[in-house]
Amino acid sequence: MIGLIRLAVFGFIGMTAAYFLMSVYSRSVERERLEKEWDGDPAKGDDPEARDAYIETGLQGYEKSLRRKLIWLVYVIPTVIVLILVYLNDT
Amino acid sequence: MKYAKWTFLATLALIVFGFFHYTLPQHDIVRIVNTYQERQDLDDWTRIFWATPDDQATGLINRDVQFIQAVDADGDPRVYRNEDTGWNWPPYFKFDTANLQTQAEDLKSTSAAPQWVSITHYGWRIVYLSTFPNAIAVKPVAGPDVTVIPWVNIIILTFLALILFMIRRMWLQFRERMIDPVIEDVEEAWDNVDAQADQAAAKARGVWGRFKAWLGTWQGKPRR
Repeated sequence: MIGLIRLAVFGFIGMTAAYFLMSVYSRSVERERLEKEWDGDPAKGDDPEARDAYIETGLQGYEKSLRRKLIWLVYVIPTVIVLILVYLNDT
Repeated sequence: MKYAKWTFLATLALIVFGFFHYTLPQHDIVRIVNTYQERQDLDDWTRIFWATPDDQATGLINRDVQFIQAVDADGDPRVYRNEDTGWNWPPYFKFDTANLQTQAEDLKSTSAAPQWVSITHYGWRIVYLSTFPNAIAVKPVAGPDVTVIPWVNIIILTFLALILFMIRRMWLQFRERMIDPVIEDVEEAWDNVDAQADQAAAKARGVWGRFKAWLGTWQGKPRR
């Protein structure tokens, strides 16, 4: 039983680290995309405040997006794989 | 230095390869001839080649281990241990040792009427250290020449390659967004320092030059 607890604790730590890294990475990619979108469009002008506001709005939209929520799969997939393995390897 | 680098890289590659070769599942097509149980002493460093089955057994220095004896198509002997991995490493989550032993017992056959089976296992048989691969599953197959496609290994290695690729992408993104701007700032600051130093040098040269010119007036040279 101690083995199960150990697996759960270290697995949770590992998955949390992966979740954190994926969130930071995904948000960073989204911010870069928004920046490039603004910079590549001459019609948007070059007011730095408007640019910041545009990026902020874009990132708020991203927080609600499906892609942001899909990062939770980092927790779901390994857990499901372990359950499947436990089942398959013992029947 | 070049040799040191290559030795280091080669050692690293060997360790990584060895780790996967030991841990990932492999299939042997064999004929089971017998199963047995034997008391094993587990009190030296070769302990790492045996499983850690349950909570009570961790303090023991010897215990009974089940084995499966088999021969392959060439007649070479293959001996497997049959132990629970439980929740421990490697993550096979195997708890059905007794069931597997029963299946193996059931699939025993003679060379006159061979019943070939595919044994999934991990680990190494090292005769000098008395280590045995751990059998995970046994499945009857048609004959000694069947091909088993290692789907599990393909999936695991592809997945690991994907993770490595993602880590690389993350690192590149981090460098581009967090480290490079800082380096640019430092470079800019350094350029400013450089420019100021140049100016100061020019100024100093100017003073020195004027002083020399003033000295020159004593020798009757015209001031410039």
